[in-house]
Amino acid sequence: MTLFLNGVEQLLRRKIVLTAAIATVAFLGLYWWGVSAASSVDITMGHDKADMAVGMLGPADAALAAIITAGPLAATLVTALIIVIGSTMLPEEIEQGRMPFWLSLPQSRLKVYLSTGLAPLAVSYCLSLILFGGIFIITKIYFPFAPRNLFLVLISMLAWLTVTWAAVMLLSLVVKKIAAMLIAFFLAAVASLFGGLHEIVRMFPGDAPEVLVSITNTVIYAFPADRGYRGVIYGLIPGDAVITENLAFFGVSASVPPLHLIYAFVWSILLLSIGYLKFRKMDF
Amino acid sequence: MEKEHIIEVENVSKSFRKVKALVDFSLGISSGTIFSLLGPNGAGKTTLMKILLGLVRSDSGSGSVHIFGLPVTSSLSRSGVRYLPESVSFPSWATPIVLFRQLERIRHESSIDDFQLRCKELECDSLMKRPVGKMSRGQRQRVALALVTSGKPELVLLDEPSSGLDPGGRILVRNLTGNLASEGSTVLINSHLLGEVERVCDTAAFISKGKLIAEGELDTLSRQTGMGYVETANAEEMKLSLENSGYSCRLEAKGVVAKLPDPDAFRAMANSVLDTGIAFTGINQMRESLEDVFLRIMDSEREDDIVS
Repeated sequence: MTLFLNGVEQLLRRKIVLTAAIATVAFLGLYWWGVSAASSVDITMGHDKADMAVGMLGPADAALAAIITAGPLAATLVTALIIVIGSTMLPEEIEQGRMPFWLSLPQSRLKVYLSTGLAPLAVSYCLSLILFGGIFIITKIYFPFAPRNLFLVLISMLAWLTVTWAAVMLLSLVVKKIAAMLIAFFLAAVASLFGGLHEIVRMFPGDAPEVLVSITNTVIYAFPADRGYRGVIYGLIPGDAVITENLAFFGVSASVPPLHLIYAFVWSILLLSIGYLKFRKMDF
Repeated sequence: MEKEHIIEVENVSKSFRKVKALVDFSLGISSGTIFSLLGPNGAGKTTLMKILLGLVRSDSGSGSVHIFGLPVTSSLSRSGVRYLPESVSFPSWATPIVLFRQLERIRHESSIDDFQLRCKELECDSLMKRPVGKMSRGQRQRVALALVTSGKPELVLLDEPSSGLDPGGRILVRNLTGNLASEGSTVLINSHLLGEVERVCDTAAFISKGKLIAEGELDTLSRQTGMGYVETANAEEMKLSLENSGYSCRLEAKGVVAKLPDPDAFRAMANSVLDTGIAFTGINQMRESLEDVFLRIMDSEREDDIVS
């Protein structure tokens, strides 16, 4: 806990975290401006058939559109932050010669490993809460809606970030930090792409090509970060929207099964354990 | 009565790929001593220090290392133990107060008053609220020393503690080391500044190529040089007089060095000095400096290597 506090204290002084915080505020500011501007436009005007369909939509559908648009952008910011600070935390302590200092104190290596590494996860989770919480509150102010499952949002967010964090922690101990960042970004991008395809495949059970099903299943199990992200979006979107069909094209077709989230946590623990085995054997 | 060993190293080896850093190394360090590890670069001194702290793992099955009777694999063996690495770079934004708070969150061994006292002793008490990034290298080293030694540590391991310090700073480090020992701490120093080491250490171990070459109290390690030194303002005159008495002499700063025919001839030489009637301010039998001991031991080790 104590070294964790030291890590958080140190992270909060870093420019990358300050930049991410400023970007969060700027993003939420722009989102507020955009949503407030959209709320003053009457989209139900018109007389033809298409306009009549639009007329059936309620504020919750506008909220759905707003969240589906803002979600991926917010996710990119959070993913970038956790990858950058997660991949530099341990290597920088080692490179700057501080690791021998911490390890010479009366505490175990496991404690040093976890508490130093935990700080990026905590900071990223807080930032993610602010970002997605901000999106939720701003949207709700202008387009009243009832989210599907806020508890799922909290758990899925943790699963999503924990997977990314565990992967980047391990990578940072195995390869150089720039390489660790690039590999982690690549994994996140691939997981996001196939995670989206997986949602479409889920919408047409039995119709999708076998190869695609196999690939998407392999990817979501090999790097389960995307399942967490889909859970965040699914939990956040309105449950009272008129649009309930073809949600897969917005990136979510149904809730994330709890087993997928449990799997994501177990997967993270496995990666963290491998990272710890490597860290335990390192000479400083 | 022999003091209890606070550090016990028995038959430890460590290799970094093909490089043998320590070879079947054994050493015991008594509590309350100021012990120095001496040896050329790459001898294995820093590796030994790191093994003592569990920072570097000895080769498996190659003996044991205990501190306070506890194996170094246990984090408990590091209670009351402080370590200053050869180079440590603190976050540039952090002030000494912040760094002390961060350390004490973990070790719970000293108070802010202890830290301020140590800062005062190392003449860095005016830097308490200055970020480390705005300090000179010497100032940072003083702060690091104060952080490491605040309170009453039982064992202090210092790797090149005078690094980056001006002569004034070195004197402060010397005094600090003496004070730590007088407060009951055991101090283990790894330094290339033999002059500094000689002034503060009781005991030393000479290491070369990962092996312990010699170990003991500095007095027992240094030999008589077979020379006598006379401190005088009339060095030329004294030299001539002693040469007339049959001594082979040479001039040195502020005096004359005379070669003794045998180690027991010092008294006779002193009488000869008195007989000259020339004023002098001191006379002593010369012993090897630590530098001489170091060079002698390392030379003999080199010769042994060639023979074998």
